Order: sequence, then C-alpha cells, then structure tokens
Amino acid sequence: MNQVLLLSIVLLPLLGGVLLALMRRAEKRAADTAFLSVLALEAAAVTAYLCLPDATVRLFSMTDALTVSLASDGISRVFLAVGAYGFLLSGVYATRYMARGERQASFYGWMLFSLGALCGMDLSQNLITMYLFFEAATLLSMPLVLHDRTEESIRAALKYLFYSIAGAFLALLAIFVLGRFTTTLDFAAGGTLTADAAAHRTLLEIVVFLGVIGFGAKAGLYPLHGWLPTAHPVAPAPASAALSGIIAKAGVLAILRLVFYIVGADFLRGTWVQIAWMSLALLTVFMGSMMAYREDLFKKRLAYSSVSQISYVLVGLFTLTPSGVTGGILHVIFHACIKICLFLVAGSVIVNLEKTRVSDLVGVGKQMPITLFSFTIASLGLIGIPPASGFVSKWYLALGALDTGIPVLNWLVPIVLLVSALLTAGYLLPITIRGFFPGKDFSAPPKTDEGTAVMWLPIAILGAASLLLGVCSGPLVDWIFTLVAPLV
Amino acid sequence: MIAFFVNFPLFSIVLCLLCAVLCALLKGKAARIVSLSLCGVVAVLAFCVLVYGLQTGAATEYPMGHYPHPWGNELRFGIAEPLVALVFAVVMLLCLIGGKQQLDVDLEPGKRNLYYVMCDLVLVSLLALAYTNDVFTGYVFIEICTIASCGLLMIRQIGRTTLAATRYMIFSLIGSGLFLLGVILLYGVTGQLLMPSLKAAIAALWEGGQYRTALLSAMTLMTVGLAIKSGLFPFHLWMPDTYAYSTPASAGILSGLVSKGYSFLLIKLVFGVFGTDVFYGSGVSNVLYVFGALGIIVGSISAAREKDVFRMIAFSSAAQIGYLYFGIGLTPALGMLAAIFHLLTHAVTKPLLFLAAGQLGEAAGGRLRHTWRGAAHRNRTAGLMFSLGAFSMIGIPLTMGFVSKYRFALAAFERPTLLVVTLIVLAVSTVLNAMYFMRVIIGIYTPVPERRTRMTLREQRPFAVSSLLLALLNLSAGVAAQPLVLLLERGLSLL
Repeated sequence: MNQVLLLSIVLLPLLGGVLLALMRRAEKRAADTAFLSVLALEAAAVTAYLCLPDATVRLFSMTDALTVSLASDGISRVFLAVGAYGFLLSGVYATRYMARGERQASFYGWMLFSLGALCGMDLSQNLITMYLFFEAATLLSMPLVLHDRTEESIRAALKYLFYSIAGAFLALLAIFVLGRFTTTLDFAAGGTLTADAAAHRTLLEIVVFLGVIGFGAKAGLYPLHGWLPTAHPVAPAPASAALSGIIAKAGVLAILRLVFYIVGADFLRGTWVQIAWMSLALLTVFMGSMMAYREDLFKKRLAYSSVSQISYVLVGLFTLTPSGVTGGILHVIFHACIKICLFLVAGSVIVNLEKTRVSDLVGVGKQMPITLFSFTIASLGLIGIPPASGFVSKWYLALGALDTGIPVLNWLVPIVLLVSALLTAGYLLPITIRGFFPGKDFSAPPKTDEGTAVMWLPIAILGAASLLLGVCSGPLVDWIFTLVAPLV
Repeated sequence: MIAFFVNFPLFSIVLCLLCAVLCALLKGKAARIVSLSLCGVVAVLAFCVLVYGLQTGAATEYPMGHYPHPWGNELRFGIAEPLVALVFAVVMLLCLIGGKQQLDVDLEPGKRNLYYVMCDLVLVSLLALAYTNDVFTGYVFIEICTIASCGLLMIRQIGRTTLAATRYMIFSLIGSGLFLLGVILLYGVTGQLLMPSLKAAIAALWEGGQYRTALLSAMTLMTVGLAIKSGLFPFHLWMPDTYAYSTPASAGILSGLVSKGYSFLLIKLVFGVFGTDVFYGSGVSNVLYVFGALGIIVGSISAAREKDVFRMIAFSSAAQIGYLYFGIGLTPALGMLAAIFHLLTHAVTKPLLFLAAGQLGEAAGGRLRHTWRGAAHRNRTAGLMFSLGAFSMIGIPLTMGFVSKYRFALAAFERPTLLVVTLIVLAVSTVLNAMYFMRVIIGIYTPVPERRTRMTLREQRPFAVSSLLLALLNLSAGVAAQPLVLLLERGLSLL
C-alpha cells in the first residue's frame, strides 16, 4: 500500500502532464479542471504520505551498480510537502493568471512534469536515481522559461540549460568518483565512504567540492548563479514562483544528499572544502542582496533575492552543525512560502496594473490592499523580523555558524546575515511604504482591483502561512532537529 | 542443430557476395528487396552464431577448405564477433529503410541497383572484418570496404560529394597502405599471417628482445592505418564533408558502421595478434590515448563552432571515434570494455541522428542551424528522434550514451595515474556536447510564425519505423545495460 502511494506520488504528476499534453486543443476550462485535479490529488497523496511509515520501491537496474529506486525518509517528506503545496497554490493562481495568454494546456503540462521530476528527486533512494531526476527536472522545467517564446526567453532558457547541464556534469564527475570510493551509492545518514577513502582524501575533496558547485548551479550558488536572475523572471509569474520557491531547492536537496548521505559530515568538517563552500555561499548571500537592492525590474529583483536567500540555506548546510542544518531546512520551507507569495504578488501587479518596474509602483496599496498587505507580511518574514518565520530560521543559521568553531567565519556569518537582512529590508519595504503612502500627488483610483479571489487568496494564504509558521514553529523545529540529529 | 550454426559466419559472408553479384543484375526495386532481406538474414545468422558462442562458451576457429593450421584461411568467432555483426546488420537494415525517401531522390533511376551492390559489399567486408582470423584477409576486406564506401558516398552526385569522395579515398588509401606495410613487416619477421600463429611468434620475439624496431613499426603502422581509416584526430578532416553531403542512409552506414568495423578489427588485433602485454607494454596504447583525448576535445570544439548541422554531427563523430581510441588506449580490461560498448552505442545512435537530421533538413529546407528554426514543429517524429539521439550523445541517463560514459569513468579508475586527465576529458567533452546539441534542439523547437505544411507520420512511414526501432534499441540498452555489459565482458575474454 505504502509502495503504491510512493510510486503514485511520482507518477501522478507525470501522467497528468501527459494528459495535458494530449489536451492541447481542449478548451481552457477543461485544461484548468484537469490541471487542478491532478495537483489536488497530488497534494492529497503527499498529505497522506506525511503520516505513513517509510517504504522502498525498487524500479529497475541499469547495471548492477546503477539501480533506480525510490524510498522515503523525513527529509523527503519536507521537500515533498513544500513541492506539492507550493505547486497547488501557484497552480490555482495560474488558472487565472494564464487566462489572457494562449497554450495554457502546454504550460500546465510542463508544470506537472516539473513537479513529477521534483517528487522523483525527493524520493530518490540513491545518488543515481537522484541524478536522473535532477537532469529530468532541468529538462522538464526549461519549457516553463521558454513559455513566451520571445527572443529573450529563448536566450534565458539556453542560459539556464547551459548552466544546469554544466553543473549536472560536474556533479556526475563526483558521482563517478564516489562510485569507486563508497560501499554503496544508496543514501545512508553519515555517509557510505569505504575504509580506503581516507587515503585518497585530496581527490575526494576536490571532486566533492566540484560536485557541490555543480549541484549548486540549480540553487544559484556562486560561481554558477548567473542563469537564475535571467531565467526566473522570464517565465510567467506562477512558473517564476515555482522555479524560485521550489525547483531551485532541488539544488539544495541534491547538496544535502551528497554531503550528508554519501560523503558524511565528519569527512568534511574543518577541511578547506567546508571553508570554501561557506565563503562562496556567504559571497552569494551578500552579492544577491546587493544586486536585488540595485535592480528596478520587480521580478528580477525577486530573483536576485532568491539567489541570496537560497544561499542562506546553503550556509546553514555547510556549517555541518545540527543548528545550522536545521536552520537551513527551516529556511527551505519558509523561503518557499515567502518567495512564492512575492512572485505571485509581482504577477498580480503585472496582470492588474500592467506595471513591471518597482519605481512605477506607487499607491499599489490603495488599488490592491489585500495583495500588498500579504506582500508586507511575507517581506517581514524574509527580512527576519520576529515573530515572522524568517527570524526562526536565521536564528538557527547564526547559532550553527557560531558552533562551527572556524575562525573568522564563525562571527562573519552572523554579520553578513545581518547586513543582508538590512539590504532585504531595503529592497522590499519601499514597495510597501510607497504602496500604502503614495504621497499627496497620488490620485486614488475609483475602486480596488485585486483580480478574482483565485488570485488574491493564494497570496493571502501564503502570506498568513509565512507568519504562522514562524509563530508556531516550535514543533516543526523539534521535528527537524530529530531529522538532522543522525546526519551531523 | 546448434552445432550446425558453426557454419553460419561463412554462409553469411558467401551470401553477401552472391547477393552483391545478383543485385548488379537486378533492377533497382528488386535489388533493394534483395539487400534488405540480406541484412535481415545476416542478422538472424549472426544471432545464431551468438547463440552458438554462448552455448560453447569458447572461441571457435573455423578452417576453410580443410587446409591445416599455418596455411589455410580461417574464421574465428566467440561472443563479441557475432554480437558486433548482429548490430551491424540490424543497423544497416534500419539505415536503408529509414533513408528510403532521400534515396528515392538521390539515386539516379538507372543506377539504383548499384547502390545496393555497394551496400552488400560493405556488409560483407564488415562481416569479414569481424570474423576473420587472418590479417591478410583483413587487409583485403579493408580495401573492399574502402571502395564500396566510396560508392555509397558518390552515388549522390553533387560536386561536393565528388570532392569528399576523393578526399576520403586518399585518406583511406593511405590508411590501408600503412596497414599493408605493417602486415608485410610482420610477415617478414614472423612468416605468419594467421592471427594465433602471429601472436605466438610475436610474443616469442618480444620476449627474446629480437626485432624490437620491426615489431614496433609494424604495430604502429597497422594501428595508425586503422586509426586513419576510422577518422582519429588528426586524420579526421575527411569526415565532415563525407558524412554531411552523402545521402542520410549512407551517412548512417559510413559513420555508424564502416568506421566501427575498422576499430573492431583493431580491438581484435590487440587481443589476437599483438597481445595485450606487448601492446600495452610498448607504449603504442599511450599514443592512442593521447590522440583519442585530443580527438574528443578538438572534435567537440569543431562541432560547437559549426553552423551546418550535418557537419556538426559529423564532427561529433570525430569526437566519438576519439572516445573509442581513448578507451582502447586506457586499459586492456575496463577501457576496452568501455570502448567496445561505446562502439555499439555510437553504431546505434549516429545513424538515428543522421536519419532524423535528413528529415529535419528537408522540413527546414536548409542545412544551416538558423534555417532549422521550428523544423521540429513541421516534422514532429524527426524532431523527437533527433532529440533522443542528441540526449544519448550527451549522455543523459536512461540512454546508452550514459552507460558508455559511466563505463569510461569506471575504466578511469583502473589507471590511477591518468585518472584526473581522463575525468577532465570526459567532463569537458560532455559539456561541449551538451552545448552544441541543445542549441540545435532548442532551435528546432522554437515556433516560427509562418505555417508550412506538417509532415504526417503516414508520409514518412519508413523513417518512422526505422528511427523508432533505433530509438528503442538505444533506450532498452540504456535502461537495462547489465546483460549487454556481461555479454561484452565474456566476449572480450574470448577475443
């Protein structure tokens, strides 16, 4: 029973994608219905799964050493839940957002394919399976970036593809080498390195370093981050939300699995690799915030913000301490919630007010009060003002960094996090301030224009969730600490 | 019953020769039917030989004409030989089926049967190269193969193919000339032509330290000759025009099969004539490794710079041949296994790419990349098949290409001194592959406003069937590679 459910979580979106591919000529209403029912079913399946015990499904073997099999554990539950619920809310929103354009069915189809690939990644039992779905996630989410088929979007998609594939092959290099120096490529908390691995420490350190850089391409980690601010904003807003909030986290998951389940934290603790990773992630945090602060295009500003925020997560993972990793995983959840909300707001602004630049956003609060109010709540979460969710995750991130005992970095991390939080406030709050307090020159519009409930409700839900998850984070934090305990 | 299968290699070779003569007398359509059935029959025969090899579990030496050992001519087959012959026959059949549309256009009405004569001759030489146990027979069929391949190329009479064929002829003749010189040297030193006797003689001479220079030169000459003929860097310059301007069926056969026949002969020579100890001890293998690596990188870079899609695919072939020699040069066990697996991968993938490119080129009405924009919307099947072939070339999981790459990476660990270089070459070439193939894929899937007529499945049934089968071969071997790998492992131990 469990196995059937496990399999159906992966297959349902993929089959749904095929269904929508076949419905290309169908009316939009029919496509909407099919899309939403698949997403709802998927969310229901994931919800059911959260409460059920672990299971394993062995699918097939390419060769004896390369098996493709699915299994679930606590980490996969976290990522599955983020993915399924995030896609459901963006999906509901998309039915309205996409109403003006054409080729909705194909857009929905690619959304579902991406979700299927992500679920496959979440449930992978070994590195090979995960790599397979990682590649699939790249290829299947690329059409989302391509959706508008403009010159700009094609360029962006190419850039996305090039960075992702280059990254994936760096990771493949690590997988090949690790295949030789591990007892098994199946994930096991604490790593599976063989006894003679220590003799080849330098080689292993280099390839693992490169592997993380490679997987980090998906998460926008410096130096393979360049595609993210180009590709994410080009997609339609619900897809940008999914890309930034959820699909980019595939890189985080891949790094998590590689570092903690194959190599093992003990092997890396205190090495140059850890220091280099932390420095790169910190650099990305700071640089992303800086770029976001200077950017005027709304969606692009949010994309830069994603670059910065996802690297918060990575900083947490790279501390290799219980608090740091917990903070990172918490930030995965919170950032998904917040960033989806922010991108959907940007979409609403585009659809209802036809404005794409931040500098044009004056008096939005008068026209779209609920939307902008949710935006503000979510922004507070991203900045990390207590009791909003971002505060909790950043708290543990800072604790984790202080625990590392690495000179300089252990106090530099909290400082950079603080500076970046200030910058975050700097690039998000002016939108709120000028939205609600446009000044004397602004003539209020005759009536509010939020779009239908299909548009503002997901935004409001996500905004509220970003606050509530922070206020009632106690049980969540405890649960994640128990998940992380065997890893570090 | 199974004992009778031992005669099948000889039968298949004689049958091909007979059919070649027959095709010369028949009209075009009848010749086509004969050739297609021939490929089918040869495939079945090869399969029977494979079953025989698996049954006996040993290599069989098959003397022809009952002359005793040092004088007669012999065939020799275990598991790898019939497997390779099987793949060659099947792929050739699929190439001829899939390229039918362009063949109808490219072949002059009066000369159609001649094309099939050439096909039969190519097939017979491939079979002979796979099965022979005699280096001179090997040389004879190398020459037959050269002439027949030129025929396949020349049959499409545009200026550029004539030029390409001339260039191909020159390179090929240099290659076979060098090979012949090597054979003569070996014969002069040892007085043998049959592979087992040669191997024993060479081992004895090498052990005693006699004729070092002569042996080394012979080995180098034969290796380089075969390398030139299969297009190893820096002798790959005949490739782009040869593959790019011939009709898709010929391009598939030439790139997928002919160059592989020579490489397979080299693999046979390494095990059956030079002996792995001598070959890997002498350093010739290292030269192959270096030029293989250079070929991979240079081929990929040239492909990335190429605007003509057909030439791009041809340059990618140069890179793939590089992989083959790279593996052969790496190590005798895992490296060889990777090389021979890659040989099969490429034999299955490249024809698929050329056939699909032929269809897409027609849909696009041009050869250059920018004219291909949106071509996949006009011909969906071809677009899909092209993408699949490209994925296999890049090495996306679940395709044969991925397993190839994986085998190369495994082989890298067998030689720790070269580990880093090997891995870097693999990584760089993969990224380059991804770059130039994905660029084309995105191009062909970019919609263009003007609506040209769409090619339906029914209008291209031969292509659809053959490309689908090639794709299935590729995917099934990619998803469940273990049986194939085991088969090749056993085959290598019998070579």
